[in-house]
Amino acid sequence: MIGKVGQSRATKRVRMDDLERLYNTHYAAVVRFLYRKIWDADRAEDLAQEVFIRAMAHRPEKPRAWIFAVAANLARDEARAAIRRKKHLTLLKDDPVPLSTPEPSAEDSVEHDERLAQVHGALATLTERDREVLLLWDSGLSYPEIAAQTGLAVGAVGTTLARARKRLIEAYDRMEYQGHAAHS
Amino acid sequence: MRHIPEDELHAYLDQALSRSQCVEIETHLAECGACRDGRDAIAAVRDRTTALLGALTPRRLIVPPPLALLAERKGRSAFRARWQERVKRAGLWAAGVAAAVGAGWVARTALDPHRNQSAPVTASLALTPATVEPRLDLPPVQSIPIPPQPTRTLVARSAARHGDEVVPAPSLQLASLVLPAHSLIPTETSTSAAAEDSHSPFERIWRVVSWEEALQLAGSGLPYIEGMPVVGVLVQPGAPGERPTVIVAQQYVGGDIIQSIEGPVGKVNELLQRQSGTDIHASEPARTPPDYVDGPAGVHRTLRILAVTGRLAVDSLNALARSATIR
Repeated sequence: MIGKVGQSRATKRVRMDDLERLYNTHYAAVVRFLYRKIWDADRAEDLAQEVFIRAMAHRPEKPRAWIFAVAANLARDEARAAIRRKKHLTLLKDDPVPLSTPEPSAEDSVEHDERLAQVHGALATLTERDREVLLLWDSGLSYPEIAAQTGLAVGAVGTTLARARKRLIEAYDRMEYQGHAAHS
Repeated sequence: MRHIPEDELHAYLDQALSRSQCVEIETHLAECGACRDGRDAIAAVRDRTTALLGALTPRRLIVPPPLALLAERKGRSAFRARWQERVKRAGLWAAGVAAAVGAGWVARTALDPHRNQSAPVTASLALTPATVEPRLDLPPVQSIPIPPQPTRTLVARSAARHGDEVVPAPSLQLASLVLPAHSLIPTETSTSAAAEDSHSPFERIWRVVSWEEALQLAGSGLPYIEGMPVVGVLVQPGAPGERPTVIVAQQYVGGDIIQSIEGPVGKVNELLQRQSGTDIHASEPARTPPDYVDGPAGVHRTLRILAVTGRLAVDSLNALARSATIR
């Protein structure tokens, strides 16, 4: 009995170590993933912490895929809640992008904001599935992990990514051109 | 001949294919120019996508709280607010020490006219390991040895000017908090003998310098990526007649630090090897203007390269390296 308890503790400790390592290496990626969905840095950090608290409770077998799946669900819930509160989601093209901290140079800041708004707008032109696949890929998930999360066949992930990348760049170039035209 | 479909090339570049599929594709690429062009175009699209998505990052340092603290947290927002305050305080404190170390070195150089420029310094350590691996309670600059006399003097002066609070330069605040734990820079202090020995170029001293001083020392060889604030510049003198090796640390959106390393091939490779086995990646090295040095056997040419390192995907670093300019 004592042996069993000791063994289960040892196993538990190892898995916590793995989880802690994953936490240290993936926390920023989860925050970025959430931020790109809800466009609020504070909430993204809140939700990322929530994800890892749940991971500690569940100890999932495939933790990396699991944390992004939970993060996506939390982001979806957040979006629904925001709609219920009749807040405008910043995923809509015309909304301003919320920025959490001021930057040192005003010029840099303006340039950065413009670029951010253009990339943001370009991302919003993608279909939900294309956007999801692209963001998961950029967060470091493998094709099988993306397939498991999105319900796509593994073979379809490459096709979706190819389309999403091309559309993102086309939309960004279009917005940048329109931006230049508006300035001149 | 059947050409490789676009989505397969994406999967190939994303390393999502089996070994046998990769061999099949590589065999085809070896004999099909159109598919090679297609692969290069898709690689460019991938790079660009990565760079675009890289802009969509919160403009703050993303530092995970210790997992143990996270487990105990009660209210989410209140916890986050407390955590961010701690991050801010840790940054300020680290910056104070880093600023003092840097300023101490500058003052020692300025105040002592007999000081030999190649004498041993520890100032490079100011940029060394402020640790991002952010477990909190981080004593961020614990391992920084502080030059004894000048540092104390300058801290006192700084305190006198600003009350009890040591106010650091903003750039150092960032540098001290987010520079990689696995620093590229050797931590041991160099000796002046080694610094003067032209046969041991790797032992030459590293100096933390201002941007202006770096421009003077490196001439046209200062690497710089537009649009990112510079948080530190390190310079190591080269052999007589050669430009120095330079590391320019800049802050990428989201707080990651990117280090552009420019110098002789052997030196840059040696620095890159120091980070093998860590989570810091490096771009493909790119050629920069070589040094031409007059010697007894005629003009000698030293090849130089530039590499960009950081905790980003290699694709992103390659894209950054392509956008780097040599000042």
